[in-house]
Formats: sequence, structure tokens, C-alpha cells
Amino acid sequence: MPVRVVETSSPSQVSGTTPGNNTPPPCTLLSVGQGFSGTQNVSSLQKDEAWRVNVQIQGIDHDHGYLCGTMEALNVPMADTPVVTFWEGEIVDTKNYTFFTGKWGATTEDDIKHWTKFQSFSPLLSKVEVDGGKTLDLSNYPFIFMRWKEQYFVNVGTDCGLTIAGFYYVCFSCSDGSINGFYYDPNSSPFQKLELKSTNDGRSGFSFSTYELQ
Amino acid sequence: MPSSASSSRQNHAEQLIARLNSVETPPESKLQDLRNMKNQIIGSRTKKLDYLSLGAVPCIVSILSIVVASMHSGGGGDELLELIAIQAAAIIGSFACRLESGVEAVLEAGACAFLMILITHQNEKVVDAVARSLKWIYQSKLAPKFYFLEEKNMEFLLSLLNSKNENVSCLGANIITRSCQTRMEQQALSGAGVITKLASLLDGSLSQREASLESLSVVMKKNPEIITKFLGYQNGGAVNFLTELIKDKHPRTRLLACACLIVIRNSCTTYLQDSRIKTGLVQTLLELLEDPDQVGDDAPFVLSSLIADKEDLQMIAFECQVIEKLCNYLEAGPFQAKRLQGIFLALADMCSELECCRDRAFSLEALIYIKDALKHDSADVRTAACIFLRNLSRSVKNMSAGHFTNANITSPMVQLLCDSCPSVQIAALGAICNMVIDFTARESIFMQGGLKQLVQLSKSMVSAIRVNAIWALRNLAFLVNNRCKEEILLELTMPTLTSLICDPETSVQEQALALVRNLVDGPSDSVKYVFDEAGLLLDAIGKKLHSTVKIEVLIQGMYVLSNIASGNEIEKEAAMNQLFPQCWNNTQTSFIKFLQSTDSRLRIAAVWALVNLTFPNSPGACRRVIKLLNAGIISQLKTMVNDPCLDVKTKNDKREMCLNLSTQTTTK
Repeated sequence: MPVRVVETSSPSQVSGTTPGNNTPPPCTLLSVGQGFSGTQNVSSLQKDEAWRVNVQIQGIDHDHGYLCGTMEALNVPMADTPVVTFWEGEIVDTKNYTFFTGKWGATTEDDIKHWTKFQSFSPLLSKVEVDGGKTLDLSNYPFIFMRWKEQYFVNVGTDCGLTIAGFYYVCFSCSDGSINGFYYDPNSSPFQKLELKSTNDGRSGFSFSTYELQ
Repeated sequence: MPSSASSSRQNHAEQLIARLNSVETPPESKLQDLRNMKNQIIGSRTKKLDYLSLGAVPCIVSILSIVVASMHSGGGGDELLELIAIQAAAIIGSFACRLESGVEAVLEAGACAFLMILITHQNEKVVDAVARSLKWIYQSKLAPKFYFLEEKNMEFLLSLLNSKNENVSCLGANIITRSCQTRMEQQALSGAGVITKLASLLDGSLSQREASLESLSVVMKKNPEIITKFLGYQNGGAVNFLTELIKDKHPRTRLLACACLIVIRNSCTTYLQDSRIKTGLVQTLLELLEDPDQVGDDAPFVLSSLIADKEDLQMIAFECQVIEKLCNYLEAGPFQAKRLQGIFLALADMCSELECCRDRAFSLEALIYIKDALKHDSADVRTAACIFLRNLSRSVKNMSAGHFTNANITSPMVQLLCDSCPSVQIAALGAICNMVIDFTARESIFMQGGLKQLVQLSKSMVSAIRVNAIWALRNLAFLVNNRCKEEILLELTMPTLTSLICDPETSVQEQALALVRNLVDGPSDSVKYVFDEAGLLLDAIGKKLHSTVKIEVLIQGMYVLSNIASGNEIEKEAAMNQLFPQCWNNTQTSFIKFLQSTDSRLRIAAVWALVNLTFPNSPGACRRVIKLLNAGIISQLKTMVNDPCLDVKTKNDKREMCLNLSTQTTTK
């Protein structure tokens, strides 16, 4: 987990985005209660290192392009226990959010550099370079692009020797539920990769839980 | 023997009434007694209640009836009788002035009918007194309904509106405000030219303006056609004038003008889009909150009507610091119950959609105000506080941080589940539905205190309570550990759960099935929870799936069986038997119907069930594939490669596994 003091920021809205139903549709593998596990590469010039990571989706609001959940990092050297953080995400839906971040210290160049690391992004590049992809129709695209920003530590104090900063550029595959991401923080090693797969709790198939807010 | 002052007053009042009732009392004496009574009760609630309890109202109404009888028999012009009528009308009006028991007594005694006749009296002073009296009656929610659709009544109403007497024209407007309830009535009033008349009264005296504003709101409510008519009046001059009125020096005028503009905007969203007007409305209403009287009590309700269900206005209000100001008012309290209720409801509306609003409310420690309000004497305040808490608890971020697990909040909430008032119970259930969700997979605090009550309420005769209770249990079971699942089932019992799946209300069925879905989700050994000794629960689920037409019930039922099908071989077979029971010939057809449903959520649930039934490496997968092949399911699956729903379409690889397996099976 990278280096700076945690910041809270409310997701920024995009003005003048294209109306209409061009947004990514819901996907059952990216719904509340779904879990993912894999690794985050935290290598630096000094050493190769990877942490095992578990992610759980806790909330998703397609109308506002919002989702949130927890991220648990295991085998973190400076921690006695797994470190859990709560994150909030922005779904790049061209209505609420585009491919341009517009905050968190990321320039449009940074955005393009990171999105192009995903193979699934290449068909979209030319339009994104123009206006962040405002006019893109993602309603039938089999990948969902997001940004995830950790907000606070859940189970450790801020004096744990770790701090959280930066955010992830994330790509979710609708067909198999796999997640790839790249961490961005000017003060950390670049392009730390997050690779996750959908988990199924040792079952012989896929199970889905549900809650509904009033 | 000396007697107490109060009993002396009582005697005096009794004697006065007795004299008024007596036929032997000369009219001049009656007039004097009426003046005495009027002077005593005006401005004195205590005196009014005293006289009410002594039966003063029937006595006065009886006097009015004599005046009316005299009118009919051509006795108009009797000066003494007219003076008596004026005093009697004034007394009736005073009893009806902001006193519910007074209005009840007046109506029960039949005063309205006589007053409605006397309003056409030739003496202007009688008319004026009667009009004032009727105005008070029609300002009460208990006022009798006036039937506009009867032609004679409409003519009478128009004569009131057209009267040069200010009180009479105001009465006409008040009658409309109180009695116009249906679209047909709105149309009839509009057709009779009432809109034009009311619009012209905007330019009248203060009371005419205010009566007209209230009345226009009612006639235009949710009626774009009539609104268009009003907006066209004087080429838009009326609505411009209305916009100016939100800056009027009189607080009640400002409030009523805001309410009227909000009615227009809520019914015709293309109008009043100017952000300056929207901001002006918010700021005016915020300022009116500071009024110490009824205007301040009503202002938060009008604010709610402006922002409810409208994110853009909630954002404008957020930027005007509405949340800060409302919380500051709560801090400055205490208030009367009605104002407190209004403030909580306005805060609830502010926090209904936007996370930034909920964050702001949390940072201002809104939970502290809620905690106190949950124990308020007024059921309306308790309900409003619960609704605010429910909307705050839509914040997954704050729920995840454990902000709703504080015993200061959870304990009173659990107590409210036993509140004597059903509306409080339902509102409390609404908040608890959200608060029980525990993302940490630890034991929810509600497991200790609230589980018993929730289970009890799931058996309520009141369907709204039943569905909310089972909804809360569903959410309580989300991602919980097996120990909690066992506790839930122990308390609820399988027979109760089975009967809830078969409840007459489909919304209860849906929530019950969603609860089962959660019970069988999680670690692989969770699936066991659906298996009771006789298999009754599983049978009930299967039967429900094949008999219901309600889409939400189908979706949850399908996910239950899909989740079971992600278990071991025995569990997969059990799910298979429910999805394709041998005894029913048409179940194959019904499963294909699920795959062909116009609702993509059901299609995807059905696809997942098939994926799980044919999951690779499960021993019985081939056997199940053959069954699916024979049922025509595989053929249906092949067609879904072009499904319009991306979620269905992108399960290609999983579907391919299933198809490959079927190919391998058929070639063996």
C-alpha cells in the first residue's frame, strides 16, 4: 500500500456529458457481495514484492456511476495482520465520469498512459484522446473501466506505518469477472499491477448474495 | 357560603347560556348576553373550552336558525335580529378559530348550513360577520366538503369569488382550498373561470392574495393543463408576479408564493428552470424557518416539497448550506412537535439521494439529534426521525465504517419496533432494514437485540409491517457467518419461512426468497440451511418458481436454486429436481420461458443456474446436460449468443463450457 496521508474526496461530477443510455450495463459478477482475490505487485527498484489481495464489493449505484468496497492486503511486511481499507470507485460511464480523472494529481497524459496499459482499451483510445470519451457508447462493451480510491483504514490505525494515497485505474471483464488494475501515485513506483479473479468460496459454481436498501 | 372563582365563572356561564336558550328572554337581553359571551371567548382558549363543555354552540346555532327562519318569512330588515345574527356569527367564528374541538362542535351543531344561507343576507354587516365565521371553519381540515360539481354550488362559489366584500371573496378561495381534491373538480373549477378570478385576487388585499395563493396551489396541483392556463394569464404576468411575491414583506405571503411556484415546477418541469429562481426559493424558505409562528412550522414542509426526489434541487440546497442551517435549528431547539417533524423530514429529503449531503449531515453529528427525537412524545416526530435515519443509512461508506452500530442509536431503534403507533413501527423498520447490513461479517448488533422482534413482526397481520420485517431479515442475513444464519433460522423456524414464501403478498414472497438466497450463499456448507427434514422449504421454493408470474419473485427464486446448484453433487441434484420436477410436464416449457423472459435479470439468473448445474468436474454434470438437452434448454442457450443483455451475452465462455459438455455427452 502506498505512501501518503489518506484524503477523502467526494467523486467529482462531469458537466455537459452526453445524455442517453450509453452507459455500461450492470454485470452480476460486479455486484454487491462479490469477492475477488489475487495479487498486487508492489515491486520497487530495491526488491520484487507482491501482496495477496482480496476485494469485496459492498455497494454499487449505476445511476451515479458509484461503487465501493473493501480491499484486504495480506502478507504486508510492516503489519501484524492483514490490512483492510475501504475504497470508493467511479465507473467510467461517460455520463457521470469520463476517462479523464481530473483530480488526485492525475493529468490527462497520466490517464491515457494508464488506460492504454489495458488491451481492452485500445479500440477506445482515439475517441478518448479527443474528449475523455464523452461520446462513447459503452452499453455493449464487454469491459467496465473504473477508478478506485482508498478512503480509510478499516482495521488498523493511521499510525500503522502505512498510509494510503493514489488510486487505481481498473478494468473489469464482464465475461469472466477478472479485474486488472494499475496503481497511480506520483510518490510510488509506477504501474504497480493489480490482478484479481472472481472467487467462489470453494463452491462448484457461482453464488450471489443480495441486499436492498430502503 | 363563598365559592371558588372558577365555579363562580362556571355558574355565570351556565346562567348566560340558560338565558340564551330561554324563549322568555327578551331579544335585547339575548343580544347583550351574546356580546358578553363573545367578549369573553375572543382570544381566550380557556373560556372557549369552558363554554364548549357547557353546550354553548348548539345554543348559538339555535339562535342562528331563528334568524334564518325570519329571513325566509320575509323578516329581513329587523335591526335587532340582524345585530343578534352578527354577534352569533362572530361567536361561531371564534369557537372555530384554531380550535379543533370548537370546529367539531360547530359542525356537529349544523352551523354551516345556516351560515351559508345568511351569507346572502341583504345587510352587509351580517354578510361580513358570517363570512369571517365561515372562513375560520374552512381554514380547518375538518371543514365539510363543498361539492363543486353541482351546478348550483358552482354558481354560489363564483358569486362568493366575485363579491366586492373581501371576507366573502376570501371565503370562496378558502372553500376551494379545502374542498378541491380530484382532477375532475380541478377541471370543473377551471372550466368555470375560477383560475382567472383567483389570479385577479392576487392583486387584491393581503388576505385576498394569501387566500388566492393557497387556492391556486390546490387547483393547479399535478395539472399541467391548468398550469398552462395560469401561466398564460396576462401573457405571463401572473407567474412573474408570483415570482416577485417570494420577496414580499409578509412572511405568510412569501411562504404561500413559494408553495405555489413549487406546485407549478413539480407539475411542469419545463417551467421555472432558471437556477436563480430555484436558489431564491431555497433561500426564502430557509429564512422563513426563523419565523416563530405557523409560517416557521410550515416552511420545512414546503422545503421538502421543493427538493423531494429531485437531485438537482437537493444539490442547489446543499450549496445553500441547507443541511447546516437545519442542523443549527435542531441545536437551537426545543421546538413544537410540528416544526421538529418538518425539520427532520426536510433533512431526510436532503439526504435521500446524494452522498455529499449524507456526509455533511454526519459531519454535523446529525445522529445526536436523531437519538433524542427517537424518544419524543410525538409519534410524528419519532416517525420523521426514523425516515431521516433511513435515508442517512443509505450511505454504504458510513455503514461500512460502523457509524450505525452505536448502541445509542440501535437500542432506541429496537424499542421502536414495539411502538404503539404502526407508522412509527414501519418507519423504524425502514431504517433498520438498512442498519442491519454488516459488511464486516461479524455479528450484527441487531442479532442480540432486534432479531426476536423482527421475527415477531414478520408474522404481523399488517402487510406493510410484515414485508418490512422480512426485508430487514433478508438484509441481516447478507454475508453473515454460519452461526448467525443458524440463529436466524432458529428464531424464525423453517415452517414460518416456508409460509412466508407462500404469503398472499408477493412482496413478502420476494423478500423471503431473498432471505433464503442469502442463507445459502457464502461458504460452501451454507447450502445445507435450505434442507429441512421433509424438504418442505425446497418444495415450496420450486412450486413458487413454477406458479408465480411476479418477476421479482421469479428472480429471487431462481437465484436461490442457482446458489444451491453451486453446491455439492447432492445439492445440484436437489436444485435440478426443483427446476425440472419429473411430475410436471410443462416445467421444461416454463424454464425456457425464464430464458426467454423480457426481463434480463431473470434471463441471467436462469443462465447462472444452468452454469452451476453443468459446472465442469462435477460428477453428475453429464447426466444433467442430457436432461437439459432433452428439455430443449441447450438449443435455447445456443440462441442466446445474441442476447441483447450484455451480462447474458458475455457469459459466453461459461455457456460454451456447457455447450461443449453437451456436445461431448451426445457424441459418447
